[in-house]
Amino acid sequence: MSKSRLTRRKLLAAAAPIAAAPLVAKFALEGSAEAGGRSHISHTDTRHATSPAGTDAQGQAAIGHAAMIGDEAPAVGGPNDLDALLYPPPAKPYRRGRVSEHTLVAVDNDLEIAPGIFFPAWTYNGTAPGPIVRATEGDTLRVHFRNEGSHPHTIHFHGIHPSNMDGVFEVVESGGTFTYEFEARPAGLHLYHCHATPLKKHIHKGLYGAFIIDPKEPRPPAQELVMVMNGFDTDADGENNFYTVNGRSFYYARYPIRVKRSQLVRIYLANLTEFDLINSLHLHGDFFRYQPTGTGDHWEFTDTVMQCQGQRGVIEIQFANTGRFMFHAHQSEFAELGWMGFFEVVD
Amino acid sequence: MEAGSASVRARFGWRLWALVPVLLLTVAVAAVSLSGDRFAELIGGNPPPADEFDIRRVEFEPGEIRILVRNPQPDDLTIANVNVDDAIVPFTVDGPTTLGRLRSSTIVISFDWVEDDPITVGVTSSSGVQTVTEIAAAVETPEPSLDSFFGYALIGLLVGVVPVALGLLWLPALRQASAAWLAAFMAFTAGLLTFLGVEALSEALQLQALLPAALGGAGLVLLGVALSFLGMTALAGMLGRGSGATGFALALLVAIGIGVHNLGEGLAIGTSFAVGELQLGTFLIIGFMIHNVTEGLGIAAPLAKTRSTVLALAGLALVAGAPTILGTWIGGYTKSDVLGALFFGIAAGAAFQVVVEVSRYVARQAPGGLRSGYAIGGFLAGVVAMYATGILAG
Repeated sequence: MSKSRLTRRKLLAAAAPIAAAPLVAKFALEGSAEAGGRSHISHTDTRHATSPAGTDAQGQAAIGHAAMIGDEAPAVGGPNDLDALLYPPPAKPYRRGRVSEHTLVAVDNDLEIAPGIFFPAWTYNGTAPGPIVRATEGDTLRVHFRNEGSHPHTIHFHGIHPSNMDGVFEVVESGGTFTYEFEARPAGLHLYHCHATPLKKHIHKGLYGAFIIDPKEPRPPAQELVMVMNGFDTDADGENNFYTVNGRSFYYARYPIRVKRSQLVRIYLANLTEFDLINSLHLHGDFFRYQPTGTGDHWEFTDTVMQCQGQRGVIEIQFANTGRFMFHAHQSEFAELGWMGFFEVVD
Repeated sequence: MEAGSASVRARFGWRLWALVPVLLLTVAVAAVSLSGDRFAELIGGNPPPADEFDIRRVEFEPGEIRILVRNPQPDDLTIANVNVDDAIVPFTVDGPTTLGRLRSSTIVISFDWVEDDPITVGVTSSSGVQTVTEIAAAVETPEPSLDSFFGYALIGLLVGVVPVALGLLWLPALRQASAAWLAAFMAFTAGLLTFLGVEALSEALQLQALLPAALGGAGLVLLGVALSFLGMTALAGMLGRGSGATGFALALLVAIGIGVHNLGEGLAIGTSFAVGELQLGTFLIIGFMIHNVTEGLGIAAPLAKTRSTVLALAGLALVAGAPTILGTWIGGYTKSDVLGALFFGIAAGAAFQVVVEVSRYVARQAPGGLRSGYAIGGFLAGVVAMYATGILAG
């Protein structure tokens, strides 16, 4: 019997700490309730006062687009890394009988498309998009293709050419070579890309590039730029995780493109985005002339153009103002996934 | 001398022999780890690691989102990119950016999130694999403060202590009941405890399924069940002094079994509330109160034939109800998802052990034993009562 009583006392002693906490809590809560409902303002204030300070300490004061320009923009590499893809080689004046020779090598290459993100790309000459191929209308285009990649590839050029130069049937096995030769025509902005199957995979992996055919009658002199819009599905779920121009997300946000106000700017714009139906370019603070496919006499006056995959065109603009002007896909999602940049217009 | 060493060998010989497999295993482990991946290469290529993060918790503060991520795989994992609602956002990492096995870091994002809107966050590893988590509604994460401390305590008090105390007030009525009816009420207790045990076990198994495989899984739950079942068995032995527990001792066991369950219940409420999954309306609190009032009846039933003081009854109410308060604090303020699985495992083990104790009691005391209609009916009534009132709390 005495043992039983001891057990009870033990129990109550053990329960005491558990009992104390809610009782204290209860009385304190009743106290604050009597003091008039929400008497907790002082606590709340302290919390709000400390929270932003902590945020500042982490250097995160800037939000929105202000946090996505210059060194703040999450882009890979140095200021001139993409020059070869942005600035085309100069146009050559028409000359009868000229052979325009190029070498394209398919190679597998892990590309850092966003800081710390490596995409196992299939490329022409190591970049996605591949190098700019440029010829003048009437040139004989001769492209030496060597496949050093791990899969069979081809090069399919847009333009007018014989069927056996179309890059559809003559699949080049790994280690093989092929020489494409045909007359460069018509003048305009075209494309080249791999046409091996599965087509979606071979294009999305990075096998594409811009193909400029200059008219015999040269275009007016200008500061020329090439922009190939694309996307990268880094986790193979059929949706792009990153969108870029020329292969690196937010690159031109980090390194704005410098142009002169007094000079005509010509942009060769092409869309090779896989998975999404369309892509687009919108320029802030100005209007431009747009020539679809870079052919014909029709020019549109606008600040936004839309292209489906494989569409392309030539933009010409003389900036009205100096300063920083944003350009981006007018699909907000693409813009916020990397397809956004700036022009730095100077006098 | 020789005789001495022989006796040493006799005394310790089996222990020395027991070391042999351990030593050989050490050698084998060393050999395998030195070989690298050569075994896999013999068979074919190793598949790449999944490179997915385990997003443990997403917290919202004014102008800021915090994502707690863990690396669930053996290979290192690097935080390379962070998306909010399909947009790349600048971020900082509180902790290492490259996470070793089972290591965690907190990603901090300045973000003007919209209250009550659904939101998705994505964390991309350096291989480009994005792990996405959807949050049903963005609400500010309660921070440890006196307000929230008392708030959780009040919730715990309302859904834990108050209903159990009210249920205990059935005691005077129970004292009037016949032996057969009392057995029915004891069986009712066993039924409700069985319900709580199954519920806790189910909850524990669900929680462990969300954990990375390396963190134990079902074994963790079993550990909790075994710990509490055996612990309670020992406790019952002490309280009942060998012959099964009766009277106050049995009521105490029931109270502990219920209390451990309520700790888990409080934990679940606190966690859900902290991460914005639970809308803690008055309806839900009322539901839990009605659900838990039957627990008080369960504790009162063994006391019907003994005298007990008001103080002792209050103690029992606290043992069974107060852990809810403790649970809401732990759930609301800690970030451990391992604890939840473990606690619910403990709750299940405790409940099942008390079912054993109560069943023994019914077998001894009930006219007609366990096969009487009162015992069977009471047990079923206990399960049905918990199920029916559980709909309110669901």
